[in-house]
Amino acid sequence: MENNASSTSTKSPAPKGEIWVWFTSLGLVLGLAMVLFLFGLILMRGFSFFWPVPVVQLELKEDSESVFRGNTSFAGVIASTQERSLQEIAVEEEILLEEEEEVEADGILGQALQTISEYRVFVGSRDRYGQSFRYFRHNDILERSFPEDIIRAERRVEGDAFFFPQRIQFQDGSEVTREDAIFEDELDRVVKEARSRRSQINRIDRREIGPINLEIRQLTMDLRYLNRIERSEGELTEAQQAERERLTGRIAKLNEQFELLRDQADELRETNQSIRVFYEYADGTNGQIAIGDLFRFYYPNRLGFLQRVQVAGIQFWEFVSGYPREANMSGGIFPAIFGTFVMTLIMSIAVTPFGVITAIYLREYAVQGPLVRAVRIAINNLAGVPSIVFGVFGLGFFVYIMGGTIDSLFFSQAQELGTPTFGTGGILWAGLTLALLNLPVVIVATEESISAVPRGVREGSLACGASKWQTIQRLVIPASLPGILTGMILAMARGAGEVAPLMLVGVVALAPNLPVDGTFPFVHLERKFMHLGFHIYDVGFQSPDSEAAIPTVFATTLILIALIVVLNLSAILLRNHIRKKHKGSAF
Amino acid sequence: MNDSTETLQQTPEITRKEMDNPDKTDFRQDYISFRNYNFYYGATQVLFEVNLDIPERQVTALIGPSGCGKSTLLRNINRMNDLVDGIRHEGELLIDGTSAYDPTVEVISLRKRIGMVFQKSNPFAKSIYENVVYGLRVAGRKKKSTLDEAVETSLRRAALWDEVKDRLGESAFGLSGGQMQRLCIARAIANNPEIILMDEPCSALDPVATGKIEDLIHDLKKEYTIVIVTHNMQQAARVSDRTAFFYLGKLIEYDETEKMFMNPAQKQTEDYVRGRFG
Amino acid sequence: MERFFDKELDKFRSDLSIMGAKAIEQVRKVTEALVEHDVELAQKVRDADNEVDELEKQIDAEAIRYMTLRNPVASELRLVVVGMKASHDLERVADEATNIAKRIPRIAEEKPLKDYIDLPRMSEIAIEMLDDALEALFSNDLEKAKAVLLRDKEVDRLDKQLYRELSGFMLENPKVTTVALELMFISRSLERIADHAGNIAEEVIFLIHGKDVRHTPVKKILKED
Repeated sequence: MENNASSTSTKSPAPKGEIWVWFTSLGLVLGLAMVLFLFGLILMRGFSFFWPVPVVQLELKEDSESVFRGNTSFAGVIASTQERSLQEIAVEEEILLEEEEEVEADGILGQALQTISEYRVFVGSRDRYGQSFRYFRHNDILERSFPEDIIRAERRVEGDAFFFPQRIQFQDGSEVTREDAIFEDELDRVVKEARSRRSQINRIDRREIGPINLEIRQLTMDLRYLNRIERSEGELTEAQQAERERLTGRIAKLNEQFELLRDQADELRETNQSIRVFYEYADGTNGQIAIGDLFRFYYPNRLGFLQRVQVAGIQFWEFVSGYPREANMSGGIFPAIFGTFVMTLIMSIAVTPFGVITAIYLREYAVQGPLVRAVRIAINNLAGVPSIVFGVFGLGFFVYIMGGTIDSLFFSQAQELGTPTFGTGGILWAGLTLALLNLPVVIVATEESISAVPRGVREGSLACGASKWQTIQRLVIPASLPGILTGMILAMARGAGEVAPLMLVGVVALAPNLPVDGTFPFVHLERKFMHLGFHIYDVGFQSPDSEAAIPTVFATTLILIALIVVLNLSAILLRNHIRKKHKGSAF
Repeated sequence: MNDSTETLQQTPEITRKEMDNPDKTDFRQDYISFRNYNFYYGATQVLFEVNLDIPERQVTALIGPSGCGKSTLLRNINRMNDLVDGIRHEGELLIDGTSAYDPTVEVISLRKRIGMVFQKSNPFAKSIYENVVYGLRVAGRKKKSTLDEAVETSLRRAALWDEVKDRLGESAFGLSGGQMQRLCIARAIANNPEIILMDEPCSALDPVATGKIEDLIHDLKKEYTIVIVTHNMQQAARVSDRTAFFYLGKLIEYDETEKMFMNPAQKQTEDYVRGRFG
Repeated sequence: MERFFDKELDKFRSDLSIMGAKAIEQVRKVTEALVEHDVELAQKVRDADNEVDELEKQIDAEAIRYMTLRNPVASELRLVVVGMKASHDLERVADEATNIAKRIPRIAEEKPLKDYIDLPRMSEIAIEMLDDALEALFSNDLEKAKAVLLRDKEVDRLDKQLYRELSGFMLENPKVTTVALELMFISRSLERIADHAGNIAEEVIFLIHGKDVRHTPVKKILKED
C-alpha cells in the first residue's frame, strides 16, 4: 500500500515505451486509410458509371492534330484531363518532333508549352470513330458548347452514341421531322414501343422457344442414338421402330410450333427494324438507326439534378438486372450477379454440414491423440494451399472423375455423342470446389465454438439421461451455431471473391442460360455460369476496347463488393439473432 | 427422544420420518451401498476402501476438505465419471441392491433414475419449459399433456412454480441465480428419479437463495433419497440426517448428523467440524 | 423468510411454556396442601416433580440440538440460551415446591400457630411473578419483566416479617419451635421461588436487550433506557 502511495505521488513523466503505442496506432491508421481509399475509389468510380454527365460539343481548329478523318466537330463526355510533355508525345509519334521545333520557332507559346494539356473524351460511336475515346489537345479547341438537343443513345451494338435526331421514318414511309411539335414525344413513344416489342421477342425466345428447342434437342439426340443402333445392329426391334416413329412425329410437331413462334418473333423484329430514326452527328454527317437497335436515350444537357438521379437509377437498375451484350462490353451483369449468388449458396450448403460434421467428430468423438493432432495440422495447412491448386483438383476430381462417372451412368447417350453433361465445368462443381477450399475455415471455427460450450451444460444433459449424440444435437450444436455461422461468413466472403479456381471448373465469360430458370427441373447444376470476379477480369482485360470498359470494371467491382457485403451482413444479422437467444450460456 | 415426552403428545422432529412417509415405513438402510470401493483416476487412487450405506429417503451429506474424494464418490453414483478417460474402480456399488456397474445396467437408464444438481447452475439455452422437460424429451416423450403436467409438478416441487408460471416460454437465462438452481432441481425431478445427487448446490448463491434451496432439500427428502456434497458445515448440519466425513479418499466417520456435530467419535472429524483442521 | 426448522424453535418455546405451567401448578398445589394440611396432595406434588425434571432435560436437549444443527445467532441464540436458563430456574422452582411438600406432613399433625395469611400471600405473589416473567419471556415484554423485578421486594419483606413473627412465637413458647422452624423454611422456599421468577425476568431483559442485568440493583436496571 505504502509503495503504491509513494509511487503515485512522485511525478513521473510519460511512461517508458509509450512511443510504441503511437507506433502501433500508426499501423492502424495506415491500414484504415488504405481500406478507406480503396472503398472510396471503388464507390466513386463505380457510381460515376451510372451518373449522367453533360455532353460537350467541341469545335476544333482546322488542320490541328486532334482532327480525325477530317471531322472538326465532336460531341462527347470529358472523361479526364491529362498533362503530357511534348517529349513524351514525341517518343510516341515521331512526326511531332518537327512541329515542336516549329512551335519553338514561333515563340508564341514559348516554354509554357513544354507540356500540353489533353482531354480524354468519350465520343462513343465506335462504328464511326473506331475507338470510344479520343484525345483532344486544349489548344486545338476553338469552341465548346453544350447543345440542348443532343441525345445520348444506348444502342444494341457498338456502344453509346451522341447525335442530334432529325426525323423518324415509319413503316409506311411517313415521317415526323424535328420541326414537328410532336417529334420528341413521338421519339419517346416509338422507343418505348420498340422496347416492349423487344421484351416480347425475349419472352418468346426464352420462355417459349427455349423449352421447345431443349426438347427437340433431346429428342434428336434420342433419334440419333436409335439411328446409330440401326447402323451397328443392322436392324431395329419393333418397339424401337415405333419409338422412332413417335420421336419423328413429335419432332415434326415441335418444329411446327417452333416455326410459328419464330414467325411471331420475326414479325416483331421486322417491325423494330422497319422504323428508323435519322440523325446527324456533331460534325453534320448523317446516320440512321433502326428503332430496334436504339435501346434507350436521354438528353444529357437538359437534365436537372433530380432527373439525373432518376436516369442514374434507371441505368443502375438496367446494369444489375440486364443481360450483357456485345461480349460483355455493354448491357447488364445480372447473370454474373446471379451466378455468383447461386454458386456461393451452393458452396455454403455444401461446406457447412460437411465442415460441422467433421468438426463434431474431431472434437467430440475422435480419441485425442497424435493422429487427430496430425489431422488438425493438415486441416490448418489446407487453408494455406493456393486456390488455383483447388481449381486443378476440382477439374480433375469433380469434373473428370465424378462428372464423368455421373455422365456414364445417367447420361451415357450424350456422353457418347461428345456432349458431356456433368463431365464438364458447371456451377455444382465450382460450388463444391470452393466448398473444399473453405472447408478448413468452417472446421476450425466450428471446432472452436464447440469446445467453448461449457462442460456444465454437457454434464447437465448427460445427468438427465441424454445420450452423447442427443447432447450434441440438442445443446452443443445450437450453442455453437454463432461460431458455425462465423465460419460460414468467412467462407462466403472468401468464396464469393475467388476467381482463379473457378476458371477451371465452370465459369465462362458469357453463359447462355442462368443456372436457375423456369425450365424443368428449374435448377440446372450442370450449367456453366457467370461470376462477377471473372466478369471483371473478362471485361477489363479481354474486351476489344478495354479503355471503354474501365468504368464497367469499377461498376462491376462495386456490385461484387456490395454482394459480398449483403451476404455477410445477412449472415452476421442471423448470427447476432442466434447469439442473443443464447446469451448467458457461458454462465 | 425420550419416552416421557409422550405426555406432550408430540414427537420430536428427528423421528418424524415415519410421519412424513406414512405409506412406507420400512426404508432400506443401504439404498446406495459402497462396498470396499476403490477408485482411480489413471494411476492416482482417489477413494480407498470406502464402505458406505446411504439410507433411502434421507439426506446424506458428504463433507471433507477439497480433494478428499467426496465429489468423486458422488459422481460415481450416477457414473458421471465414465466421461473421464482412464478411470478404474474396485469393489461394489449397489443401488437398491443392483450393481451400478452390472453389464446389464445401461448407463443412460441409470442416470434417468438418478437426478443430479451441479455446483454451477447449468440451465440450457432454452425456455424454462423446455429445460424442465429436457429429460422427458430425450427419453422420447412427446405427449403435450404429459409434458405440461410434468412441468407443473416439477416446478411446484422445486418451489418455483409461482415465480415462473407466467413465463414458462421465456429463456431460462432470465432467472436469478437461485431460481436457476431451483430450475435445475426441477429438471432433475422431472425425470421422476429415485435419487437426487447435489454437488455443492448452493456454493454460488446468496444466503436467501441458499435458504430456499435448503428448505427445498428438506422438503424433497419425503420422496427422494438425497446425497449432497457441501463445503458448508452449517449447511450439512441444517439439511442432512446423516453425515459422512471424508479425508484423503478415506471415509473417516459416518453417523447421524447430530452426533457428528455434537460428539464426533474421531479426532479428525472433530477438528474438521470445529474448523480447526490441519 | 421462514425456514423449515422454525417449527423446532416453536416447539422449544411451547415446551418451555408447558414446563412453566407445570412448575406454577406445583407451587399452587403445594400452597393449597399447606393451607389445607392436605398430606395427600403434598405427596402428589412430590411425585410430579420428576415430570418437571424430565422437561428440563428435554428442553436442554432441544436447545443443544438446535445450537448444534441450526447454528442460531443473535436473538435466536439468546432465546435458546435464555430458554435453557429459564428451564433451569423453573426446575428449581419445582424443587422448592417439592421441598415445601416434604415439610407439610410434619406440620399437618400440629395445631396451626396462626391463620395462614402471609404464606399464601407470598405464594400468590411468587406465582404472579412467575406468570408475568414467563409471559414477558414469550411476548418479549420488557416492561412486564421490569415489573417482576420490583415485586421481588414485597416477597422479601413478607419473608422477613414472618421470620420475626415466628421467632417471637418460638421465644414465647419453645414447644412450637419445630413447627415455626418448618414454617420459616417454607417461607424461605417461597422467597426463593420469587427469586427464581426474578432471575427469569432478568434473563428476559437479556433476551430483549442482550444486556446482562444480573447482580445489578433494581433501581439501576429501571433507570436504564
